[in-house]
Amino acid sequence: MAFIRVENLNRIMNRPFKISTVLITLFSAFLVYASFVLGNNEDYLFPRLISGTIAVLSLMLWFEKGEADKSTNFKDLMPGIAIATAFILSLKILGFYLASMIVFFTLVMYYSKPTESKDFWRVLLIKLGVTIVFSLTLYALFTLLLKVRTPEGLF
Amino acid sequence: MEFLNYFDNVFTVYHIALLVGGTFAGIILGALPGLSPTMSVALLIPFTFHMKPESGLILLGAMYTATVAGGAISAILVNVPGAPANIATAMDGHKLAQSGKAKDALHYCFMSSFVGGIFGVFILIFFTPPLAALSLKFMSTELFWVAILGITIIATLDAKSVIKGLMSGLFGLMLATIGEHPTSAMERFVFTDHLEGGVHIVVGLIGLFAMPQVWNLLENFYGRKNEVFSATGDSTLTQSFRLVSGKIKALSIGSIIGSVIGIIPGAGGQIAGIVAYDQSKKVSSNRSNYGKGEPEAIIAAESANNSMVGPSLIPLLTLSIPGSPTAAVLLGGLLIHGIFPGHDIFTKNTEVVWTFIDSLIIAQILMLIIGLFLSRHSKWIMKVPDNYMAVGILLLAVFGTYSIQNDYSDVLIMFVLGTLMYFGSKAGFSPVPVVLGLILGTMTEEKFLLGNMIGNAKGSSFQHFTSGTINIVLITLCLVSIAYGIYSSRKSK
Repeated sequence: MAFIRVENLNRIMNRPFKISTVLITLFSAFLVYASFVLGNNEDYLFPRLISGTIAVLSLMLWFEKGEADKSTNFKDLMPGIAIATAFILSLKILGFYLASMIVFFTLVMYYSKPTESKDFWRVLLIKLGVTIVFSLTLYALFTLLLKVRTPEGLF
Repeated sequence: MEFLNYFDNVFTVYHIALLVGGTFAGIILGALPGLSPTMSVALLIPFTFHMKPESGLILLGAMYTATVAGGAISAILVNVPGAPANIATAMDGHKLAQSGKAKDALHYCFMSSFVGGIFGVFILIFFTPPLAALSLKFMSTELFWVAILGITIIATLDAKSVIKGLMSGLFGLMLATIGEHPTSAMERFVFTDHLEGGVHIVVGLIGLFAMPQVWNLLENFYGRKNEVFSATGDSTLTQSFRLVSGKIKALSIGSIIGSVIGIIPGAGGQIAGIVAYDQSKKVSSNRSNYGKGEPEAIIAAESANNSMVGPSLIPLLTLSIPGSPTAAVLLGGLLIHGIFPGHDIFTKNTEVVWTFIDSLIIAQILMLIIGLFLSRHSKWIMKVPDNYMAVGILLLAVFGTYSIQNDYSDVLIMFVLGTLMYFGSKAGFSPVPVVLGLILGTMTEEKFLLGNMIGNAKGSSFQHFTSGTINIVLITLCLVSIAYGIYSSRKSK
């Protein structure tokens, strides 16, 4: 590492630890490993060129005076990701329409403005109504009109 | 005047219904803050699978045209541009809304969008065939550099960091290598059965554009508070028409600047709108009123971002380089329908391409009529809650992805890719270069392998790729693009 100038090294050392840069470097290293070690024949020529360039760029990222990463509001985001993941994983068991109805109702109920809690039962009935109408519209559009297949399960 | 021969194909009941439906839905989707034109077109692509190529492209073209114009509604009523192309419109449009003239501002928007849009389509009609003929001179190495140039331009213009932009484009190229090798059919990077078929272009498009929107809407659900203004105002349509048609200078500046920027690969409507706004301010006698609700400012910005639509398809149809992020998605739509851009696009797909281009003229007319009609009811469009929008996009994304090949693996890839992209965007990565890399990946690898084979036979592959006038020009443009990206990102800091 003798080629790294002292002031650059100081800047790296003083720079706030950025998880994203570490993850990107690790991911780039994995790409290089996958194309140079796992793929050991001519078919990997192009991926090697690309992954090699990515690896060089990921090293350059450490010296870039970049903007800080935007913060993530995990508290509000994670329940949504969890509900959506459960929806994706249940698609093959429940089927598209049943799973859609459940995820629609769960998400719109979970993400409710504080003002809606004053009139809980009315809001619940409205959201249930919208869920049923939306799901029936999807069924009419996709299955009856477009005749497109959806993931099959119970319904 | 070959384009006049194909209007008959557009004027069928089915195609007019598609145009009306696409324009109507496009304006509404464009008006919803948080839903970008790029995502709207990406979500629509699976619905076009079962259509004839010309029908599918007509629907996608109408949606592209309408979403850009529709974005002005939220820019004016909520001060949140529906698309990046409407940023300049928000500056003066929202001021007019605050002074009770939102309806007038919306009239100016749709009328000037129409003028700019028609101008842009005619630029597309007259400039595409000669440029397509020019692309005949492009062989394997030139086409390889064209793809690299496209990714470089998009990467350096769309991302805040040049390094991250370039990495995004290269990640896209890597994604395209998953699955079968283009010539030997050997499987690469198939770590799980779900990756056996590789990453389908449309799966990538939907995942990279739709899923981040879902997470964004949910993450900011409790924090977003937008005051929506009613579309009120004094002017009648005739008065607005008189005002817009009297602003020839602003209309001309907007239309010409939008068209020029549209042809520049990757630049897009955001730059067109801002440059036109700035230039019209310099020559306007009302320049002191800019930023305070000046109609000329809205006219220049909106005519520019819509005149960009047609010309953004010129590099797309001739060289596979999109002129805007949404045009990149449209490239995916063309490939899905078996239309490969290049010198022979007007000979191999004459009817489809001219019908598509002609439909863009009709889409502009419909955009004006439907846009003016929807302006009156635009306040209600704005009131769709974010949680309903998020779950609606999620369901459409899952349905759209599954319907491509009836494969559950595609749904998983879309979901994982989109979620990773969301967190990547927090670290400054952009989905547009990734998508372009994914779309151009197979073609780029094929041209690279062919050029490499010819070069090895000649004695030096490196020399083969770096010699010849066109190759040198393209390599220089790549370097200039990177240098400009570094310069502009340093300047902005």
